[in-house]
Amino acid sequence: MNKFAYLCGAAALALSAPAAQAQVLTVCLEGAPETFNPELTSNGTTAYVLGQIYDGLVSVERGGSEIEPALAESWEVSEDGLTYTFALRQGVAWQSNDSFTPSRPFNADDVVFTFHRMMDSEDPFYEVSGGNYPTFNAKLADNLASVEKVDDYTVAFTLTKPMAAFIGTMAHGSLGVTSAEYAQAMMDAGTPEQLDLAPIGTGPFQLQAYQTDAMVRLLPFAGTWGAEMGDDLRTPMVDAVVMAISGDATVRLQRALAGECLIGLYPNLADKETIEASDTVEAVQTPVPSTGMLHFNFAEEPFQDQRVRQALAQAIDMENFVEVIYSGMGHLTGAVVPPALWGTASDIGPWEYDPEEAKRLLAEAGYEDGFETEVWAIPVSRPYMPNGRRAAEIIQADWAEVGVDVSIVTYEWAEYIQRARAGEAKVGMFGGIYDFPDPSQIPNNYLTCQPDGSTAPSNIGDWCDDRFNEVMTEAGSITDQDERIALYHEAQQIVHDEVPVIVLGGADTITAVNTSVQGYVPAVFGSSRLSGVTVE
Amino acid sequence: MADPATLTPAAEPERGTARDALRAFWADFRRNRGAVIGLAVIALLVLVALLAPLLAPHDPTQQFRDALLVPPAWQPEGQGAYLLGTDALGRDILSRLIFGARYSLLIGLMVVTIALTGGITIGVVSGYFGGWVDTVIMRIMDVILAFPSLLLALVLVAILGPGLTNAMVAIALVLQPHFARLARASVMNEKTREYVVAARIAGASNLRLMLRTILPNCLAPLIVQGTLSFSTAILDAAALGFLGLGAQPPTPEWGTMLADAREFILRAPWVVTFPGLAILTTVLAINLCGDGLRDALDPRLKRG
Repeated sequence: MNKFAYLCGAAALALSAPAAQAQVLTVCLEGAPETFNPELTSNGTTAYVLGQIYDGLVSVERGGSEIEPALAESWEVSEDGLTYTFALRQGVAWQSNDSFTPSRPFNADDVVFTFHRMMDSEDPFYEVSGGNYPTFNAKLADNLASVEKVDDYTVAFTLTKPMAAFIGTMAHGSLGVTSAEYAQAMMDAGTPEQLDLAPIGTGPFQLQAYQTDAMVRLLPFAGTWGAEMGDDLRTPMVDAVVMAISGDATVRLQRALAGECLIGLYPNLADKETIEASDTVEAVQTPVPSTGMLHFNFAEEPFQDQRVRQALAQAIDMENFVEVIYSGMGHLTGAVVPPALWGTASDIGPWEYDPEEAKRLLAEAGYEDGFETEVWAIPVSRPYMPNGRRAAEIIQADWAEVGVDVSIVTYEWAEYIQRARAGEAKVGMFGGIYDFPDPSQIPNNYLTCQPDGSTAPSNIGDWCDDRFNEVMTEAGSITDQDERIALYHEAQQIVHDEVPVIVLGGADTITAVNTSVQGYVPAVFGSSRLSGVTVE
Repeated sequence: MADPATLTPAAEPERGTARDALRAFWADFRRNRGAVIGLAVIALLVLVALLAPLLAPHDPTQQFRDALLVPPAWQPEGQGAYLLGTDALGRDILSRLIFGARYSLLIGLMVVTIALTGGITIGVVSGYFGGWVDTVIMRIMDVILAFPSLLLALVLVAILGPGLTNAMVAIALVLQPHFARLARASVMNEKTREYVVAARIAGASNLRLMLRTILPNCLAPLIVQGTLSFSTAILDAAALGFLGLGAQPPTPEWGTMLADAREFILRAPWVVTFPGLAILTTVLAINLCGDGLRDALDPRLKRG
């Protein structure tokens, strides 16, 4: 019966459009999705795939940083800043698959189910697929008191304390809404884990097939709410999306140049000229709001002296560093908040390169003969640090000039993070990418500490400065943007003066896009969407 | 029949026979042209490694910041000062290759020395005594051999921590069973020969029998294996360096240079090509030389 319907459909399609060629959008991905539920991961590749399938309550404007409505049409904040009430969009259809056909459109039950699963360890779905919700746990768990249904299309989120970045956080791809009805159906069928393996979303594309580590195939979901309301940017315009997985950047670029994929993600920055020389592929450059930093460990004696830290900052030829490490696509800055984001202190530059002054400062601090230390180099390629080892070699050479003898240390990435967070790095590279457009994220996660002296998990140097904390706390608790900008400027100035970290900068990223692809706008925050994209 | 030269203690060799044996060996070796070329290349490498500070045009770790990724001199944008071009940090590739020869040869030499010493000791003890000693030692060797060699080296380096010395120790441990097996087989073969029995009856101690009487007659296959392991060691060290577990920066080790340059394979192919060629040439030369040694030292092949 099913087969017959399929054949009929195929025949009808063939009859209705005899001359038109099927538009297939091929994308070369750098890794495989590890799950099909965005709640369960903070991996960017997985987010890219799932961003096509799921929607959140709010989203980030395409290619920009403004928050715009998605599944929620509007929202209100209570006077005390503790309750956010979302008015949900009506008539949003869920996708279907072989084992599930939705009986009702999206409503408040789905939102409550989605968040309840992550908040409440008693929830029947909490332990399904491991019970680890990295993004939710890191960004919301401590602040969110409850999520309640007011009526079928109204949901209220109550916070434990005011949180300026709350709406921004809600735009995070990991907080996509899942279907409560689908979850119940799978629970009844005795296969609750199917919720996380066979995705049902409201987005422009649905999963057709996944071949482990080789390929993800998506089909357009014609009934998606974006298409219903006539929003072209949320409407699938191609007949299929094929995501081919190749781990090596050079291979991905070769496939893009050969036309095997129309969009090639994350080519080597060094290959920009190769892409530009090609007639069929363009290098689309996108700013990435990320910050790479070199943290001084305050448990090490020399680094407790501001003069030593400033001297080491002045000993690095930052212009050369940014040029070499970011292949000419980096930005020279001394501000912790990157230029791609509001709140950046664009007037703060890096410390001026001056080895003589550095030597003088070191001598003044009692280290005229220099000292020995370690620089930890991150072992993976990130937008804020494409090649940690090479960066460390530059720093090694620069610091050798002022008498500081550096040995370079590195570990496998997971172990590196663990050891660095345990405070083992004497001078450690660390950094992060903004997940949502609010400048608080990186300074909060990498530089603040609690009143009891315990530091934020990514504050690997254990820097603790009362004035900085005060400014950050104040900026985080008010919602007036101009006031917040002023406070973040002040915070960045403190970081620049105290030099707990040397800001290394960050780079733009490039995407290899075939000239036949129209309308592809790489996202600055979160993942890029393939809806609204056409192939000629 | 045993060669009379090996019957006499090594302390007082008969000059004529030793020189004759050497001359015969050289005549055999010279017949293999590939081996001679290999030997010449190795000799050249040793010379380059010894004279590195004199030959290298620049300091291998100095970063010329106005000359990043300069192509080799014969290309249009090349500069005469950097014959083989520069890498991403502006370091002269030729100088790094020249100094890299030191590391590669050092790695080969150290690994073979450690593996050979360890392997021979274990192998001779095992083959000479036999019985349960042999069983225990050989089963341990079997366990080591059961691992893919690079994987085991990786595990060892992960335990010991990355670095050139640890990489050498790890590779030596991995290669050592081959020597042990070879030594054991030869010893078992030799220990029932008449000259050994004669020496035993004459009252030689176990140690003397093992080291003075039997070992010299087992050396030929071990020398060949040692030569071939020399190249394996260089390759393995390059592989470890490539994975970031061998030599640490800014050491100009060839494998590490190759790994650092991977991303430039399209934009600046010379950065990848020359370290790769250096490894290839060295390993090929050593292997050719090893083949020649085997032909010259193996009596069965000699007459064939």
